[in-house]
Amino acid sequence: MLTFTLRRLLLAVPTLLVISLVIFLVVDLAPGSPMSEIPLTIPPEVRRKMIAALGADQPVFVRYLLWLRQFFWVEPASLFDGWFGTALADGEQRILSWQSRSPVFSIIGQRLPQTLTVIGTAYIVGILIALPIGIYSAYRQYSWFDQAGTLFAMIGFSVPTFFSGTLFILLFAVWLGWFPTKYDTQLEVRDWASFWQQARQMAMPVMTLGLANAAAISRYMRSSMLENMGMDYVRTARAKGMSERTVVLKHVLRNSLIPVVTVIALGIPSIFGGAIVTENLFGVNGIGAALIGAIQANDIPMVQTLAFIFAVLIVLFNLIADILYGLLDPRIRYE
Amino acid sequence: MLDAIPAPLVQVEDLKMHFPIYSGIFRRHSGDVKAVDGVSFEIMAGQTLGLVGESGCGKSTVGRAILRLYEPTAGRVLIDGEDVARMAPEALRRKRPSMQMVFQDPQASLNPRMTLADIVSEPLDEHTDWTRDRKLERVYELMDQVGLNRRFVNRFPHEFSGGQRQRIGIARALALHPRFIVCDEPIAALDVSIQAQVVNLLEDLQERLGLTYLFISHDLSMVRHLAQRVAVMYLGRIAELSPAKDLYARPLHPYSEALLSAVNEPDPVLAARRKRIILKGEVPSPANPPPGCNFCTRCPKVMDICKTVKPALLEVEAGRMVACHLHTAAGATGASEAEERKRPVNQQGETR
Amino acid sequence: MNMKAALLGAAAVLGLAPAAFAERGTDGEVKLTFPQAVSIMNPYLTGGTKDILAAAMVLEPLAVVDPNGVLVPRLAIEIPTVENGGVSADLTSITWKLVPGLKWSDGSPVTADDAVFTWQYCTDPAGGCSQATKYDGVASVEAVDPSTIKVTFSAPKPNPYTAFVSGLSPILQKAQFANCLGAAAPTCTDANTMPIGTGPFKVTGFTVNDTVTMAMNENYRDPAKPAFASAVIKGGGDAESSARAVMETGEFDYAWNTQIPPDSQAAMAAAGKGQFVVAFGTLVERLEMNMTDPSPDLPEGERSTVKAPHPILSDIRVRTALSKAIDRSILVEVGYGAGGKPTCNVIPGPEGWASDNEGCIAQDMAGAKALLDEAGWTDSDGDGIRDKDGKKLSILFQTTVNPIRQDFQALIKDWWTELGVEVELKAIDPGVFFGGDPGSPDTFQKFYADVEMYANNSESPDPESYLAQYLCSKIPSPETQWQGENINRFCSADYDALHAELTKTTDLAKRQDIAKKLNDMVTKDSMVVVPLVHRGTLSAHANSLGGVQINAWDMETWNTADWFRIK
Repeated sequence: MLTFTLRRLLLAVPTLLVISLVIFLVVDLAPGSPMSEIPLTIPPEVRRKMIAALGADQPVFVRYLLWLRQFFWVEPASLFDGWFGTALADGEQRILSWQSRSPVFSIIGQRLPQTLTVIGTAYIVGILIALPIGIYSAYRQYSWFDQAGTLFAMIGFSVPTFFSGTLFILLFAVWLGWFPTKYDTQLEVRDWASFWQQARQMAMPVMTLGLANAAAISRYMRSSMLENMGMDYVRTARAKGMSERTVVLKHVLRNSLIPVVTVIALGIPSIFGGAIVTENLFGVNGIGAALIGAIQANDIPMVQTLAFIFAVLIVLFNLIADILYGLLDPRIRYE
Repeated sequence: MLDAIPAPLVQVEDLKMHFPIYSGIFRRHSGDVKAVDGVSFEIMAGQTLGLVGESGCGKSTVGRAILRLYEPTAGRVLIDGEDVARMAPEALRRKRPSMQMVFQDPQASLNPRMTLADIVSEPLDEHTDWTRDRKLERVYELMDQVGLNRRFVNRFPHEFSGGQRQRIGIARALALHPRFIVCDEPIAALDVSIQAQVVNLLEDLQERLGLTYLFISHDLSMVRHLAQRVAVMYLGRIAELSPAKDLYARPLHPYSEALLSAVNEPDPVLAARRKRIILKGEVPSPANPPPGCNFCTRCPKVMDICKTVKPALLEVEAGRMVACHLHTAAGATGASEAEERKRPVNQQGETR
Repeated sequence: MNMKAALLGAAAVLGLAPAAFAERGTDGEVKLTFPQAVSIMNPYLTGGTKDILAAAMVLEPLAVVDPNGVLVPRLAIEIPTVENGGVSADLTSITWKLVPGLKWSDGSPVTADDAVFTWQYCTDPAGGCSQATKYDGVASVEAVDPSTIKVTFSAPKPNPYTAFVSGLSPILQKAQFANCLGAAAPTCTDANTMPIGTGPFKVTGFTVNDTVTMAMNENYRDPAKPAFASAVIKGGGDAESSARAVMETGEFDYAWNTQIPPDSQAAMAAAGKGQFVVAFGTLVERLEMNMTDPSPDLPEGERSTVKAPHPILSDIRVRTALSKAIDRSILVEVGYGAGGKPTCNVIPGPEGWASDNEGCIAQDMAGAKALLDEAGWTDSDGDGIRDKDGKKLSILFQTTVNPIRQDFQALIKDWWTELGVEVELKAIDPGVFFGGDPGSPDTFQKFYADVEMYANNSESPDPESYLAQYLCSKIPSPETQWQGENINRFCSADYDALHAELTKTTDLAKRQDIAKKLNDMVTKDSMVVVPLVHRGTLSAHANSLGGVQINAWDMETWNTADWFRIK
């Protein structure tokens, strides 16, 4: 397992380098200019100077190499400095967002907490809803519960989050007045009152995303359960005279969870990626909102860095999913 | 019936196993797959009944329905005098230790995430209050019985060979001292060289433990070797039920005849003399069997009556039962039976 | 702008200020929400209005422009004029006097050096200052004494109120930005996100593109202001969600830029929690007619350049007919509701600067058809499309991807089709359209189409620099890397001459007269620019928020010091 992991990690290095180059070229070649959002009242020569000040007029390969250096040397070094008070990255240019002139990594650092709390909670809530639905739907296939579960999944799949989110806002915020429509990122949970406030402001985005997540995962769970339900070893377990509870929870569920756990692990990078639509809708302003804002503003350093971090996370969680599979399924061994 | 042997251990009466077909937008019940359609037989304690037939004829379904791994649609299954088909769930669960099954695919029938010890001792967890050590001792004992090295006790199923896995399956089935075991093609998935070992093991165990077997197989020669009596199934019904010796010597039903003609004959002289009967056509769908004899579409000796009247399984010679108009047409009872069976024919027509 | 007007304006503001409040910081928190989040608090490093709006609560200039377009002193004691001797008679310098005892929010004194530094900061060639035009023509800025700032121009400047005037060019604290000159400007993250200012609030927390938290400035010069102890600006979402948060749920007090469809405006207003306010500045949604031939058959270098006049649109009768066929009232109704009104002018305001030209408002389809007939464009082959000399009257009409603009395109296409004009529509990503990339064929400057639609405005109430965009010298061409603001490639010696006169005229009434003439020359006289809708900025504020004075000539947040809670 260790050699397998090491080999995969080594293999990931050239893969990621190629990915970074491809992302850079794609982002760079995409039409648009970092100045496209500023008012027309700013004359062309001022624009040109602003672009030069951003360094955006340099040739693409120069900017790429600079970015590589910044990403792999300057940023880790300045992180190290921050921890140990050293001065490795002194005088070095960190990756700066063109839009805000702030270091990209401090922006990510500011935004990650709310993305992880909101999107992460939504993911966990989604899983917690999905697993029982999937398990019971499969166990009672074609029952009214299964039909209702199917309907739920269909709704979760087909209703886009901008629609369900807006619906929730109208229902729970405008009519009932239960929840705020704008997420307060500055809220600190210090006591029960602020915890309650945090729970209230998380309610709608978590519901919106949780519904969508639960839909997909409940279907995976159901089909995996159904597949295992028909297996001979389940019949064996019944023939052994095991109770129905043992048969379903010990034999069927444990084996059915293997692929579901993998799917869940593979979905984790998307938590870091945030949810563009939902974040925007509720003003969560996490990573997803940062990415879409950066794309709209042609903030290439921001887009590039975020896209690359996603690529790293995806590669990493693919590896983790593989390792998990190996741990959960004794039939799989990596050498 | 042979008077010498007392009450049979297993009695199956008119067992039916229909799987409903749902179709259309509203998934309406539009018909049934009649996998098993009125099967009756008995197995004497300590004996083996062979159940043979082509794949898809419903023989495995019979095995599963008897142990109530399927909910039978109709009929009675008396094991040791108790009707398993109608038993309440909890009573059934307590009954399970006495009736066990050895499955066809030893790989698929063992939970891949459980070790050998877990698999074999799980029934003990459920049905006994033994201590850990006692259960482990029993596991070792069973491993010895089926010829597995004790060192393997903590291995997972995928770490064993096919033959070893089937031994685990047998050990597992034996764990709670069953009286009756359904062997559902236990050797079909094994290499030929291993098959004999497993069969011999089953025979040994029967002798030592006084087990009663229902041996389901499509391998006629293996059945001949193991079973005292053999039932030949075709499309959900029993075509012929005879003592093994008689059946192999002189099959009565044309289907038995065709089936046996395909068996390898070790004697080259006999083999050269024998005429192989090749059946033409496809097996009809069990969702839509022919109105008359199920075999009439492929029978080389088909008569007009076969196409309209289902033949009943009747004792035509001592200890030999057959469902064929060739053998019932002679007797008056056969004709009346045929008349009586006309009504269900119509009903079947209506259900389409 | 003369002194009298300025004082009147100041008086008007004071008169409007409520008498109810007496103490600083007694009204709790004021919450603002912007559909686009604040990226940076330094107006010199951004072009985004959202950023400058937020900055205007913290940073202040010497003078601001009030809702009537009148200058009001802020950090200066008074508005310098020729009359009061603040502006030299030859119009080459202006001298500002700082209010005595001014302090930055950190307690240090504000001096003339800070203004000098601000000028250096924005004019550093490596700094990429986005407000550089504010300092155009400034030869030097010097501190005559700690409270006197003298701005000297390289040539006589009839409008000297550019540098240090309005929220676009506030004074920065020298001590904070001293190490941020030139290329170092973007690296001063702390200074750029939490600038020290003189305004009613100071920044206490900043999360990029998300939230700005502010507290009242203890050192603000008016001890009774601001009424609010703290302020929060939450960004993100869209216009609709911002409007909802004020108008329907009441979570926020003020939402900037809530331009939503007219029917939603009515529905939200009905909830009774707040009201929409609209500031009409100079933003005009217009059609630009291409006076040069954009035909792809022409070689690069000639296409859409003055070398090739437009085969159809060069005829003023065609341009006029196209304008006459449009019903501007319907466009307003469909697209903007309260946030817009029909207009025929490029300079729609302020009052006094706007021409009285209203000839285009009424749709005149018959007149338009007659004009085309007269111009020789008739439907000779009966296919519903006019033609002349075997050439179809066919037009490529482009704009950016934007729901309202696509509605407009569809409506205008209908009207033009009725007129017998074949119209092909094209919608371009705004990032590309306004991106100015000389390599892209789809920029609005390159204008590879016959007609294009977008909005533009003058950055100051005085439209001198705005009107300069129609000078012959501002035509974009391959030689200028397709940069230049004269999108139509309109070129008139008369216009250039009149504009030159404007730059030399100081008398306000005369300046206004000339501006109106220039406006008419590009609109009703030549029909090169076809204005459609005078667009306002629609904002919303809660009924409980008092003191809001929407301002089209400066930042909407120009008077947050005067905002208070209605109890």
